[in-house]
Amino acid sequence: MDLTAANTAIVVDSTADFPQAPERYPNWRIVPLYVRFGQESFRDYVELGPADFYTRLRSSAVVPTTSQPTPGDFHAAYQELGEYERVYSLHIAGTLSGTVESARAAAADFGDRIRVVDTETASAAVAMLGLAIQRRLERGTTDEEVEELVGRHRRESQLIFTLDTLDYLARGGRIGRAAAWAGGLMRVKPILTIRDGEVIPIKRVRGNQRAFQEFIAAFESGSSDGPGLRVAIADADAPDRTEALRELVGRTRPQADLELVATLGPVIGTHAGPGTVGLFWFADE
Amino acid sequence: MSPRDQAIRLVRGAVAALERSRSRIDDLNVYPVPDGDTGTNLALTARAVLEDLEGSTADDSATVAREATRAALMGARGNSGVILSQIVRGIGESLAAEESIDGPAVARVLRAGSDAAYRAVRKPVEGTMLTAIRALAEAAEAEQSRPVGELLELLVAKGEEAVARTQEQLDVLREAGVVDAGAAGLVELLRGIASVVAGQPLPDEPPVERASVEAAHQELSRFRYCTTFVIEGDLDPDALEAEYEQLGDSLLVVGDEHALKIHVHTDDPGAALAIGTHVGAIENVEIADMHRQTQARERRLLAAVPDPPPAAAGVVAVVAGTGNRRLFESLGATQIVEGGQTMNPSAAELLAAVEATKAPEALLLPNNPNIVLVSEQAVSLAAKPARVVPTTSIQAGLAALVAFNPEQSAEENEAAMVEAAARVATGAVTTASRDVQLNGRAVGVGQYVGLLEDEPVAGGAEFEPVARAIIDRLLAEPREVVTLLTGEEEPDLSRLLAELEQSNPELEIEVHEGGQPHYPLLVSAE
Repeated sequence: MDLTAANTAIVVDSTADFPQAPERYPNWRIVPLYVRFGQESFRDYVELGPADFYTRLRSSAVVPTTSQPTPGDFHAAYQELGEYERVYSLHIAGTLSGTVESARAAAADFGDRIRVVDTETASAAVAMLGLAIQRRLERGTTDEEVEELVGRHRRESQLIFTLDTLDYLARGGRIGRAAAWAGGLMRVKPILTIRDGEVIPIKRVRGNQRAFQEFIAAFESGSSDGPGLRVAIADADAPDRTEALRELVGRTRPQADLELVATLGPVIGTHAGPGTVGLFWFADE
Repeated sequence: MSPRDQAIRLVRGAVAALERSRSRIDDLNVYPVPDGDTGTNLALTARAVLEDLEGSTADDSATVAREATRAALMGARGNSGVILSQIVRGIGESLAAEESIDGPAVARVLRAGSDAAYRAVRKPVEGTMLTAIRALAEAAEAEQSRPVGELLELLVAKGEEAVARTQEQLDVLREAGVVDAGAAGLVELLRGIASVVAGQPLPDEPPVERASVEAAHQELSRFRYCTTFVIEGDLDPDALEAEYEQLGDSLLVVGDEHALKIHVHTDDPGAALAIGTHVGAIENVEIADMHRQTQARERRLLAAVPDPPPAAAGVVAVVAGTGNRRLFESLGATQIVEGGQTMNPSAAELLAAVEATKAPEALLLPNNPNIVLVSEQAVSLAAKPARVVPTTSIQAGLAALVAFNPEQSAEENEAAMVEAAARVATGAVTTASRDVQLNGRAVGVGQYVGLLEDEPVAGGAEFEPVARAIIDRLLAEPREVVTLLTGEEEPDLSRLLAELEQSNPELEIEVHEGGQPHYPLLVSAE
């Protein structure tokens, strides 16, 4: 079957942190997760945007929690996409969230039409996979080519991020191997990555500038310059850090395509905490 | 009674039972992601079914079953909710084929629920809700000749046994000392249904104020003590509410002019009780330390995180001062040897510490110029591969330790740690042990001397100007982070810090009680 942007849809969950996708691409849909403050539940981005979320996070005595979409949420999205012959449903790592399980439970009712993908990564990296598929759809592609791309994205897409504190990650139960660094008395910035869906500690430093030097060192050794080098930057309520990083990225890989500058939404923000910054890259065509 | 009304009665029982035990089940939740919301998710999923049925007009059992199945699927919250929705789907589909509900029918529908749940999960894991539903199906098959009411009661007991066994089936549960939250929730749900069928009273539906009390406990309160009690007397609820508002948060004042139940989170439970005794008699006093509850829960959550891989390298640090010792330990130093300026440990002591590290390799931080050589000697005698990172101050030692990664070898760590130590600029304030000349000025014994990388550059009788001079010199170059470690004599830094923050708004300033002797202040900038 020939897949095109006219007959193939892309569904991502809201943790891809790409809220503008449906405006830009008519064949995209976003299914929101939920963020809860005590008894109040909000649909990620839809009922609570990043700006209001971080304001609330700073002032709230209640620690927010998050919840995956219901299978019904996915069911509704898949149904709405009835005119599309194929749907690629791309989701945050199953080790970090049950979202992909909800998607699978809903997809079971639609036979082979829906392809649910555990991307084994998170945030802008998921959006970047969607964008890479979209580029192929726009020139015409096949399931085989998309599946090959998905596999290569799992192996080769890279991300590095730093937090102001490990507390949020620990509280939400997503700290993984970085637990060895939790509970320090000194303010240090952990530099982390996600590999096979697991949070992996890379290095600790003090101060943002040092953290960015580490980012750039990893970026430089893990990429080569060219227009096919796709890059994204995302921050949680720290736009000045994104600006600083954007400049460094431009200087390091001037030809790279910075395809996404994102704000981490309420759900990812709940687990990473304010001040988080991430750099994502993937060598595509 | 119509099939719809019957279904509503049963689901109400299930919802009530789940809501009653919601926070208990939340607290059990350590698997698959320890985020403490299983009870909430199961209750919300069951409630979605109830709300759908209450709004339904279906009047035959096949339609009711189909609607309940769909409502569970649409309303499923969280992993546990998704699995529950699959169990409901299996049960719903199989119920449509049953003409009457007897023991064998219960066995058949439970088996269908179990099969549907196992099919839906990619990699079924034992010791979870799946195990519990299968145990229920097996027990029902074995006991299917019993009357339904009796059978359900028996299944609740069998379910409880299955829940207890989950702890032996799943490592993370055993380590965290809990049973599986989803399995426990499933049995609660069954308990609710069984009590409806038995015609016994519903499990106590949580009264409204009780529910909000539980909700309040899920919040992290700024205050320490959860205080609840009843006041009896001739009471003015509004006035009392206003008074209790001053004391803390999460306030609930429930009741009437004769008896009021008070719930407040406060740091001063004594004051809360005193207000009560002032206007009436108090009883049923309960005071719980929420910090301890929260800590216990956080410990359990952290215990559920799989152990990081065994460290490839451990760190031995020579440190003076209890505060500094804590800082080194919190950054991952595994062995601390007491020592410093006037107390140099022997090579034998250092060697023993290197050998005592559990990791197969070790790094040694001397943190003092006089201890570097003896450290080299200790390392050369060690049986395990070990490296000295030749730090000459506590501050440099901390900077090096920040760069330590337990997953890497001593050799890989050495390079990163040496580099990190070299990047930090250090200063200190000490007292002169003899008269010295400094920039043509005499500094007498006992007066303060400011050191920059061990070189005296400032001096005087007052602490503050000397400290200020050192910090200014360190900030002459662009810096991001300044760390101040106060010594045994704990100098007053308040004015200095206020000035520093004002003149360097971008600077991160960190102050710790180091507790080191001889140096009222150690400073590092990077």
